[in-house]
Amino acid sequence: MLKTETMPRAVMRRKSYWNTRQGFVVALIVVFSVVMLLPFFWMITTALKTNNGIYHLPPQIIPRTFDVSNFGAGIRAVNFVHLFINTAIIAALSTIGSVVSSMWVGYGLARIRFPGRRVWFYVFVGSMMLPGIVSLIPMFRLYLNIGWYDTWLPLIVPAWFGNPFFIFLARQYYFSIPRSLDEAAKLDGAGHFTILTRIMVPLTRPVWITMAIFAFQGAWNDYLQPLVYLSSQSKWTLSLGMASFSGVYNTPWNEYMATDLIYMLPPLIIFFVAQRYFMEGLGSLGGASVR
Amino acid sequence: MAAHSVQARSRRHPDALIGYLFILPSIIGFLVFVLYPLVTSVYYGLTAWNGASNPVFIGFQNYLYLFEHDIAFWPSLAATGWFVVMSVPSSIILGLALAMLLNRKLRGIRVFRTIFYLPVVLPSIATLTLWKFIFDPRFGFANELLRALHLPTSLWLGSYAMALPSIVIIGLWGVGGTMIIFLAGLQAVPQELYEAARLDGGGDLAIFRRLTLPLISPILFLELVMGIIGSMQAFNQPAVLTGGGPGFSTDLFMYNIWQNAFQNQQFGLAEAQVWVLFVAIILITVFTFRLSSMWVYTEESPE
Repeated sequence: MLKTETMPRAVMRRKSYWNTRQGFVVALIVVFSVVMLLPFFWMITTALKTNNGIYHLPPQIIPRTFDVSNFGAGIRAVNFVHLFINTAIIAALSTIGSVVSSMWVGYGLARIRFPGRRVWFYVFVGSMMLPGIVSLIPMFRLYLNIGWYDTWLPLIVPAWFGNPFFIFLARQYYFSIPRSLDEAAKLDGAGHFTILTRIMVPLTRPVWITMAIFAFQGAWNDYLQPLVYLSSQSKWTLSLGMASFSGVYNTPWNEYMATDLIYMLPPLIIFFVAQRYFMEGLGSLGGASVR
Repeated sequence: MAAHSVQARSRRHPDALIGYLFILPSIIGFLVFVLYPLVTSVYYGLTAWNGASNPVFIGFQNYLYLFEHDIAFWPSLAATGWFVVMSVPSSIILGLALAMLLNRKLRGIRVFRTIFYLPVVLPSIATLTLWKFIFDPRFGFANELLRALHLPTSLWLGSYAMALPSIVIIGLWGVGGTMIIFLAGLQAVPQELYEAARLDGGGDLAIFRRLTLPLISPILFLELVMGIIGSMQAFNQPAVLTGGGPGFSTDLFMYNIWQNAFQNQQFGLAEAQVWVLFVAIILITVFTFRLSSMWVYTEESPE
């Protein structure tokens, strides 16, 4: 508002103080970022080191010779392609299941008036508080008895029955969409299914993309459940394969890091493609807690 | 009569049927994946069951065994307690500090936010194994860095004293998860409030204590509760990095449960342990909620 010439001295001094402080903040951010990136740097250089290179003393920060053959060797050592396909199938099916079912249930809770909807909402959200470990052993026994042990079903089917956290996110987001849209659609003879698929799904894109990121990450990264429910190596997920590869005596770390980099890629790519929706999708959560 | 009242009710709530159709998946999910295992787990905790035969009811013997004879029980509980005490405050403080650093309009700030969030996106097994090699005493990056700075090196995960702190350090690499939630909270604070406070001559520290902290205290509380619950259930770190050792130093409770169930085939004993963990989680959560009224700020209603 004020022009620089008319600014009182104190304000001017304050202004320059802010600038040096801004510089200090930026420097701090850069330093922290470098620290955060160092492990990645170490990972990539290790993946490119020769067998002698990884056991070189002192360790080489930047290798003298690069060895790209680690990628091929690592991929063969863990049966990577097979496990990659397994994990992709499981992750895709459980992601679709949890997004579709949570959007569906969230719609019912936010947009349809019926007795008991508030109680059920609290029941679902309350069940989020329950630690997953409580159900692990009873569900293990159940799956054993119905022949689901050592199949992918325990990793996929539960996702299709709504995820409480996603339902919470969806419900919050649905509330932000004006009811007049539903009313208008109803006057045109649209049912709830049409309103959900034609009006809500396009308008709530940030929230279901956020759900999809979370769900895919959860499935792709999950270790405990595959560890408990899968025994045959041919059905393993990548998390099991990579963990066992890292646990062998004298792990070939260069080959390991090469495959580890590929294992990281799908969640990274999905995150980068979808990240512009991410903060927006979570925004409904932040706003809800602040207000 | 009954038919009449049903008709009357459906007239009052024409959408009741369709409403329940929409929430049906979650009702089934709740009954099958939450209520059923919750109820049966109480019973399994009171049985001896090796996974193959049928569970045999033995009363409270599992619990007695845990409290009085199991050599791993108390050390494992202690390791879990230390893990929570070290990891939760450090990730909240660092997460909040980073969020405040990154909550400003600068060119390219999104790039930095992404860098900090990046490790959170990655599979936990992928990052844990990466750190396993970083912490390798002879060939790892951590000791190489220390040697370059002429500082004493460490056995890291192989050292009784350093194994648990090493796991906490690895966890801090994922502090971006805490940071992003704080960032969402900070961005919801109206900027005018800061300007007003600054015009009133508020210093940075005063603004932080009197304005920022109260306004984000609900999120701080959320992070605290979720952090405690989450770290009490940490499993992957001992499973992938240490196998619970050296000694019992990293024998986190979840890992101990898993070992008893799926390695020693003592499912009844493990389920009893699950209930100890569960009750501990409930008690600590209730305690945190009770304390929260002292420091969590809620906006007063207009009345």
